[in-house]
Formats: sequence, C-alpha cells, structure tokens
Amino acid sequence: MRSSTWRWAALLLALTMVAAACNSATTDTTQPAENTETTNTPTGGDEVKNPGLLVHAADDEPSTLDPAQVEPGEGGETVILQVYERLLEIGSGGPDLVPGLATEVPTVDNGLISADGMTYTFKLREGVKFHDGTDFTASDVKYSWDRAMEMDLPEGAAGVLSDIVTEVRVVDDFTVEVELQKASAAFLNTTVVAMVSSIVSEDAVEANGGIVAGEQNDFMQGNMVGTGPYTLTAWNRGENIQLEIYDDYWGTPAFLDVRIEIGPTPDVRVLGLRAGDFDTIEADPSFIGEIEGAEGVTIFGEGLTVEPIHIGFNLNIPEGALPAEDTIPTNFFHDPRVRRASNHAFDYQGFIDGALGGFGDFNPHYIPQGIFGYDPAAPVYGTQDLAKAEELFTEAGYCPDGFVVSVITEEANLFETAALVLKDSLESLPCNIEVRVLAVAEAQFDDAHAQDPIEYAMWVKNADPFADPHSYLSSYQHPDGEWGVIHGFANGYADPQKVADLIDAAEVELDADARAAIYSELQFLLYDDPMWLIAGQEGVVAAYRSWLKGWESNPLWPRPSLKFALIDK
Amino acid sequence: MQIRDYILRRLIVLPFLIVGVSIIVFGLTRIGGSPVAIYLSHEMSSEEVAEIEARFHLDEPVPVQYAYWARGVLQGDLGWSGVAAAPVTAVFPNKLAATMELAVASAVVAVSLGIGLGTYAGARRNKLPDHITRIISISGAAMPLFWFAIVMLIVFWVYLGWFPIGRSTPEVFASISHPTGLYTVDALLAGSFTAFRDAIWHLVLPALTLGYGATAIIARMMRSSLVEELQEEYVDAARAKGLAERLVLRRHARRNALMPTVTVIGLSFGFLLQGTIVAEIIFRWPGLGRWMADSVLRGDRATIMAYVLFTSVLFLVVNLVVDVVYAYLDRRVVLGS
Repeated sequence: MRSSTWRWAALLLALTMVAAACNSATTDTTQPAENTETTNTPTGGDEVKNPGLLVHAADDEPSTLDPAQVEPGEGGETVILQVYERLLEIGSGGPDLVPGLATEVPTVDNGLISADGMTYTFKLREGVKFHDGTDFTASDVKYSWDRAMEMDLPEGAAGVLSDIVTEVRVVDDFTVEVELQKASAAFLNTTVVAMVSSIVSEDAVEANGGIVAGEQNDFMQGNMVGTGPYTLTAWNRGENIQLEIYDDYWGTPAFLDVRIEIGPTPDVRVLGLRAGDFDTIEADPSFIGEIEGAEGVTIFGEGLTVEPIHIGFNLNIPEGALPAEDTIPTNFFHDPRVRRASNHAFDYQGFIDGALGGFGDFNPHYIPQGIFGYDPAAPVYGTQDLAKAEELFTEAGYCPDGFVVSVITEEANLFETAALVLKDSLESLPCNIEVRVLAVAEAQFDDAHAQDPIEYAMWVKNADPFADPHSYLSSYQHPDGEWGVIHGFANGYADPQKVADLIDAAEVELDADARAAIYSELQFLLYDDPMWLIAGQEGVVAAYRSWLKGWESNPLWPRPSLKFALIDK
Repeated sequence: MQIRDYILRRLIVLPFLIVGVSIIVFGLTRIGGSPVAIYLSHEMSSEEVAEIEARFHLDEPVPVQYAYWARGVLQGDLGWSGVAAAPVTAVFPNKLAATMELAVASAVVAVSLGIGLGTYAGARRNKLPDHITRIISISGAAMPLFWFAIVMLIVFWVYLGWFPIGRSTPEVFASISHPTGLYTVDALLAGSFTAFRDAIWHLVLPALTLGYGATAIIARMMRSSLVEELQEEYVDAARAKGLAERLVLRRHARRNALMPTVTVIGLSFGFLLQGTIVAEIIFRWPGLGRWMADSVLRGDRATIMAYVLFTSVLFLVVNLVVDVVYAYLDRRVVLGS
C-alpha cells in the first residue's frame, strides 16, 4: 500500500474522531428550537438532556398498533393507550374510572345504567377531533366496537366485547346506548376501558380498507388515527416509535413529544438511563441493583402489578403425553392434598426477597391486591410450611416414595426463577421428589402452552392484567372458564358447581358490597381448594431520570404503566 | 475445461443446490415446533391457534407447506416477518444495508489498526514496542465481544458522552431520502453534511468495537510476514545501496508483506459479519444480525428461511467467483477436473 494511502486513512480516522467529537459537543440543527440548548453532559450533570422530548426505552416492539388486533399485555397496548382514547379511562391514582370520550361514568344513580343492568348509556364529548381532522361522533363509537367484533382476530381481544355486548346503538350524534347480553358489574372495568374498545376514526378506516371479517387491516396495523393527546409520527421498525403532541387535543395537552426506543437489552437500558439518553426505562426488580445510587436517577417502587405469577397444575393430563422422565399419574393434581402440599412447600419469602428484590407481596387466590374484591382478611399461602407439605404428600401417598415432575417455563426470566424456587422447595422435603425445570425459548413455551390439552403437568406464567375481579376469576378459576376447561378444573374442585355459581353471581351483582362479599367467600374457598400456586404479586418497579416532573404510574395501565402526556421535564 | 464451460456447469447446478439447502432448512425449522408460535399469545385458545394455522396453511402437511413457501419465493414473496411486522422482502434490503455498512466500517478499522500495528511491531521485532503492540492487538481477540462492547458503552456513551448508541439521530435520518439504504452514502448523495456526520458519529463506537476484535489476526499476520520479508536478500540489497531504513520498510518489505495479509483480511470479513450479530444487539444497530437474533428467539420462521436462503446463495456465488478468479490468476489450477 502506498504511503499516501496510509496518510489518507489516518486523516480519515482523525476527521472521523473530530467530527464525532464536534457532533457530541454541538447542537443538532434539525431539533426543534428549544432543543438548541441540548448539551451532552457526563453522567450526573443536572442539565436536562433532550428538552421537549421524552425518551422511553421499551423492551418489546409492538406487533400491531390496531386496537382490534392487539393482544392484551403486548407492546402495542402501550402506544394505543397514548394515541387512542376510550369512553372511560382508569384514573391516575388507582382503580377508579374517570370520563374519557364519554362525559360521565354511568351508574344506576345517574340513570345511565338501566335498573336491570342491561343497558348502558354514554353521553359523548362534543368538539373532539380525530388526528385526521374529522369530528368524533357516536357513529365512530359504534363503528369501532362493531369493527373489532366483526374482525374477530384470534390474536386480538374481540371477545372482551363480543362476550358481553349485544348491540351498540347510536341514539344521536353524541349519545350511544350499549345493550348487554346479561347484567354485568364488570362491564365498565373489563370492556369499556380495554384497549380493544379504543375509538378509531370511521372515516380513516373506511378510506383504508374498511372492515373485512377475519382479516387484519394493514393500514391500521401501522397507522393510528385516534383522538388522544399524541399523534403517531413514525414507526421505524426495530428502532423507535415517535409520538408528537396533538395540538388540537380536547383535553389537557401533553408536555413533551415522545420517542419510544425499541428493544435495548436490559444492560443497555440501564446504561442509557445513566447516560441520560433515556428518561424512563422498562424495568423490573432485577434492575435495581444496577441502578441504585446512580446520580440523577429516581427509583420508584410502590404498589403492585396486577399480573400474579402463577404455577399451573394440569388436571387434564392426556395419557402418555408427559415427558418420559415424569412418574406422576395423570390424575396427580386431582387430589386437593397434592395441590395444597405444593402451595405449602413453596418458599414465597425467598422468591419475593430474591427474585423480586423485595418488591412484591403474597397473593390470595386469585384476586390481586389493588383490584376490587381483594379481601385482606382472606387466608393466603405466604409462609413456607414444609412439615404441612410433607404431611399432605404422605397422606396422598407420594411421600416418602416421591415422584418426578417436569415444569415448563420460559427461560431466563422471573418465571424460570419461580420454577427453580419450586424445585428447591419440593426437593428439600424428605420425600424423594425430583422437579425437572424445562426452561425454553418464549416461542417454544407459547407453542406448548397453547396446546389443548397441555402436555405438561406444570408450567409457570403470569396472568393478563385486568381491572375487574370477574376477568381473573372467569379466566383462571371458573371450571367452565377459558382455562378451567383446558386444564380440567372440574376434575379437581370439591364442588365445581359452587365455584361456578359464586363467580357467575358476582358477575351480575350490581351492589358493590354484596359483590365484594361473594369475592371474599371465593377467596376463602379457593384457599382450601387451590387450582394454582401463586408465587407472588410482583411490585411496581420503575426507574426514571430525576428531571422528570409529574411522573405517575398505575399498574392498571398497560405496561410500562405510564401515561406519557402527564410527564414534563 | 474452459472457464466458460465450468461457470456454465456451476450455474446449472446452482438452483439445485439452493433447492436442496432450502428443503433441509425448511425441514429443520419445523423440528423446533410449529411456525405458528410467532403468532401466538400466551392466552390464546386452541381454536384460535387452529384458526391462525389455517390462515397460513400451517395445518397442511410439511411438503405442502414447503410448496406454498417455494411458490411464494418464486413470486418474490418471502413471507411475513412476525418480528418486523412486515413482509420479509420489504424489510430485508434496509437491514442488509445497515449490516453491510457496519461490517465495512469495522473492516476499515480492523485493516487500518491491524496493518498499522503489525508494521510497527514487525519493524521493531522483540523490542518493547513489539511487545506492547502485540498485547494491544491480541487483547482485541481475547476479549469477548459482548463484554468489550459493554465496556465501550460505559466509557464512551455513559461517562464521556462522546458517542451515541443506535444507528442515527431519528430526526436527521428522516431528513434525507435513502435510495441505497447505506446511511453514509445516502447522506453524501443528499449533500447533507449533518446527516453524514450523524452517520459517522453513530458508526464509530460499534465499528471500533467490532473492528478491534478482528485486528489481532491481521496484525499478527502482518508482523510475521514483515519480519520474514525483512530477512530477505532484496532487503539487504536495498539497505546496501544506501536506502534509508524508513524507505526500505515502506517501498519494499511492507508491500510484499501485505500479500499474505490480504488473504487473512478476506477471512476476517467473515468474522466481522458474524460479529455484527452481537454488536447489533448491544449497540441497537438495526441490521440483519439483530433481526435474525430476534427471529430465532421468537420463532420467526419466514425470516430465518429468508436469511438462510440469502446466505446460502451468497456462499455459493462467492465460492464460484473465488474458484474462477483463482483459476484465472493461477493457470496451474484446472477447473472441473
């Protein structure tokens, strides 16, 4: 190589370094005006980075931004919460409902719920405009709900609507009536505030493919035309999602534009927060050790998420389906003593102190703390009682001869840790028990978990978040419910009909006190006859730059449980 | 055999090889479970799963599924990427461009450092600078890339704040068009110094990290070749005629020492392409590597198939080109015998 080439190479390298240094020290001319003050200060500097912009580092990318297609708990819900609105919203402070696109929360007292609980009336806000400039009317509400039900995409949550709604009627431009299939005390908390019930622009959808039953809408999958405080300006797949303040928003306008950085690894998220390039990050308790003490960073650790981490018992094991190493019979979990023994054996405190870093609590069956109906007086498996566990396994005939059982779980997360705690707990009994933890990739776990019947005796997962106890109990405890059928709860409950009747009764009970009493009774009953082992209720843990103002978190909002419009710098 | 006949024969065989590879890979991707997993949610019922399987023909026998896939490929449809939430063909070119840009930048770093350090060390054999440069170059190969990358981030991103993470500043990136997908090239084509500076600014950290790892092998080869060349008689002759040592090194020894090093540089590019997977994940570089890693973890079979098909074709074509070039350069090589 000629020496001049070397000189050029050296010069190029030097120029690169200089350019980089200049870039880091100078302002970005393409930023908005207020960003001209941006300087890159070392960690700990108190100058606000990226003024006018909130940067959130998320761990997951949405697969869709269409409310009719989004899966509960999935990354798309985070964006839908900010850009679309619903008739009612869950308020900042707790589980209480506040008006959204409707002007009032319907109650029997204000006459917006009919006496029989079958008809709900929503008075709508006037003067609201969609992001495409069209007016919001009752027709959009009917269209949005009918659309989700008609599309009925399996990956979406249309059932939240179609399982309860008979008809949505337009009374006038700013009034809609919803006729239910049966009275439901859970309707507002379960259906109206759900992301699938977000109101989309009828005009925008009709101009871009309309509604086709059973098929996704490609336009709506990547574009958003809502009424919320933010408009979607860009979705650079694999990189970021950009939201801009919507100037014509009817309510209190947002303070900051938003950029959601997609998919930094946990280490990089922590580093980005320390560097000040990320204002908030998707966090869990395992992050705390790395963030504690970082200058300019605030750690938030109050309250509990509403997605209990559970270990499932399969009461519907198909003959010959279990892994070859498993020695348990197919009716193993039909015996309540086995289920209770497992619950007594688990080291709850160890799981909460270790895996959850102390940010968590015990959880009764199966209403999370923070949800209506949770009874603090109800008994809870929260203390490891190995003697009781041994006694019950002995009574059931599995001690001291023991057994081998496999637990399938996603790898490298809290679920795997819960499975390992279970293994440690059961194997510490003098009963010759062997627990095989099968930690697999997420996709492989989903595949196994979606089988009907599932071909494993036990698995670890968490619940979907809901705002109403009926959703938890109908999904996770009802013998004829979604999981009750697949996992064969009817094979195990001492009185399946009683459980079913109580859950069904609570659903239609409009008197709050009477409804709470039913849920309390259920919690006592399900303690004696558990269908799950609830490892714990994870604490809400978040970390953000201390320069943020108005930071609020509500575990009933989709993860990261933030409404960006409330936050300022 | 004439080179032309040889190329023709290889080109005829090429499609069969590609079909063979695709059948093997298609079969292998089915061993890890049904490809429907990418579409599943945790709480989906078996009826809903069946509905999705029917939508994508995943309820058909595997050979039929392969036929659907192959027909799609022939029509230019590589399937839907669940990870990218878009057709594979729509995403692939940009991801490839991002990866190539990073790999080439890393190669520039590796070659510059490798040849520079190798020359410096070779000319000072067994002296202190030789030992120091060896430590520097070998440490690049010895340090695990993921660890070194994190260290680089801590130093240059978190504490010094010199370099950012990611591929671009979104506003700057959006301010120009991207006809080639190569950010640096597009910036130059657009005549935007701001965008070019932004591209380079974002490239420096991942390219240095990745390139440093590939430096060792180049530096070692360069050093040993140079040491060998410096012992040749023509070097003595050059010195004897009074040429300055600096010129002996530059004009004679180094030029000859570069010949075997260039071969190693070619091999190093393969290492760099592999390394982009780790580098792209840690530096949030939106290239093929990160896309593939996500796809493997989430069971995105369409993307995996497209990636494997692409690398297979690339490998086969490059092999063919290498064979032909080799035969052209060295007439002793007889093709197809």
